[in-house]
Amino acid sequence: MSNQKKDILYGLYNDEEYLLKAVDHANAEGIEITEVFTPFPVHGLDPKLGFSESRLHITGFVYGMLGTLTAFLFMTWVFTRDWPIIFGGKPYFSAPAFIPITFELTVLFAAVGMVVTFYIICGLGPGVTIPTLDDRITDDKFCIAFDVTNAEASFTDKLKGFFSQTGAEEVNTKNI
Amino acid sequence: MDQFTITGNQRNVLFGFMGLGLLCMIITFFGDDMFHTRFWTNYLHNSVFFTGIALMSLFILSAFTTALAGWHTLIKRIWEAYSMFLIPGLILMAVVVIATVGHMHHLYHWTDTTEVANDPVLNGKSGFLNLTWFTAGTIIIMGIWVFFAWKMRQLSLDEDKNGDASYEHHRKIRIYSAAFLPIAGFSSAAVIWLWIMSIDAHWYSTLFAWYTGASWFVAAMASTIVLISYMKGKGYLQNVTQEHLHDLGKYLFAFSIFWTYLWFSQYMLIWYGNVGEETVYFQERQENYPVLFYGNLLLNFIAPFFVLMRNDTKRKYGTMVFASIVVFFGHWWDFFQMIKPGARLTAMHAMEHHGGEGAHHGAEHAAAELPGHTEAAMHAMPFEMGFTIPGLLELGTMLGFLALFIYVVMNQLSKAPLTPKNDPYLEESLHHHVELHGEEAH
Repeated sequence: MSNQKKDILYGLYNDEEYLLKAVDHANAEGIEITEVFTPFPVHGLDPKLGFSESRLHITGFVYGMLGTLTAFLFMTWVFTRDWPIIFGGKPYFSAPAFIPITFELTVLFAAVGMVVTFYIICGLGPGVTIPTLDDRITDDKFCIAFDVTNAEASFTDKLKGFFSQTGAEEVNTKNI
Repeated sequence: MDQFTITGNQRNVLFGFMGLGLLCMIITFFGDDMFHTRFWTNYLHNSVFFTGIALMSLFILSAFTTALAGWHTLIKRIWEAYSMFLIPGLILMAVVVIATVGHMHHLYHWTDTTEVANDPVLNGKSGFLNLTWFTAGTIIIMGIWVFFAWKMRQLSLDEDKNGDASYEHHRKIRIYSAAFLPIAGFSSAAVIWLWIMSIDAHWYSTLFAWYTGASWFVAAMASTIVLISYMKGKGYLQNVTQEHLHDLGKYLFAFSIFWTYLWFSQYMLIWYGNVGEETVYFQERQENYPVLFYGNLLLNFIAPFFVLMRNDTKRKYGTMVFASIVVFFGHWWDFFQMIKPGARLTAMHAMEHHGGEGAHHGAEHAAAELPGHTEAAMHAMPFEMGFTIPGLLELGTMLGFLALFIYVVMNQLSKAPLTPKNDPYLEESLHHHVELHGEEAH
């Protein structure tokens, strides 16, 4: 990733309905949206932006299965090979007693694995600061952003026209 | 189409299956042992199963109403119609009560007064496990359920005709719903102990009522999904979309897991505790009914877990109907394995005392093989159709009861428009949208 700063032209909307209409408008006009920021997940936005479904949950399944196997096989190895002890007159290999820990480790592996994967995909981690366009997009504003680095004035004007047509509350440019 | 009508064809099919069920029950009755154990266990099994589905649909409605849920409004008529099966359910269970009081069968060990007098365990339980409690408990508790089902249904139907923007009807329904939740919670446990758990009269489990209730819940959800898919195919419920199906699927999935959780909690504590009077229940099932025991987990946990786990399978009608049928049958199977082994032992035990007179069929052989043994659980139980696994007669009986259930439900559905047009949550239900990534709903 280049550390070069970009000029971003962005518009803020007050409501998700306006945002969805604006995205439809942009699609109809053939304007390519660089990024959309919303304070919460907006239903129906992903298909409009042409995103395919996230595959994060598939990794979740894989991590979960890994947890299941780790827990079950580890306990089996410990209690039948490494350090066999009789508990309460039960056989060394006591599957029902292994189930609760197997369940816990399945959940743990799936949860932690998905969080770590998500952080890696997003380039997040300790010490990383992500520049934000506007603090209010984590609160109550819905934002459509365009990359206008080295763009011609006519293109920028077209985008500004798009924002005023679709009812954007504010239009700003920021170099981040 | 907002007004459901039963076509002649549907009526013929349903009555045909009811006839089949009746025929199967008659065949079972005449080919049975001296106590007609197979007949009565089948009757009890199906009556309890379908009555429980009716109870759970009322419970679901009450829980959703109390939680101010709105998504289900378009399908609430279906659950209202389900809950009306409590009235035939009361009649079905009244027959069980009459037969128990009249000693027409030998399902319940504790009904034998001479046995109870000589048995310290049963004697200790006789304060609850007696005919008075069985009769009064069944009739009064089910009477209360019927009252609530009837009242909420009437309010809901009246709302259609006389409802206005003050939503007075809905407020009243909410009060009845909130009142019904604790009543259903406690009273269902009591009748489950009486109807099912007391078949294994010496045994008890504090988790049993929850586990059985979860079984009913999943069966209610599964049958709802199948019925909705069928009705949509017939052109009804066009406003019910994949979004509603998705939520029903989540309930089916979640409560299948919940059922498994309860099943396993009950099993593991008893297995770990290793107290003989508790383990006997699972010992009997694992040793002598392995198909029932492991099939139960396969049908009700493994199958729904892997089929319903993915998001998009819960949005496909075909997959959902398939999973629902598997799970519905699975929970019927679950009740089968709750009832049959215990009732079989009780009957064998009683037959030894009667010297096997007039007995025929497998139970007689089993009894003859174990002369003088009261602890039949210690021995291998021979295979017997209708006890070791459900036979064709059991399936026929189930189809008969299912047809009766569907007929009652369809009959109720045809009495009112399918869309509750004055319900305050109707708009929310019409615009229900759950899938973040979803395309337009179909």
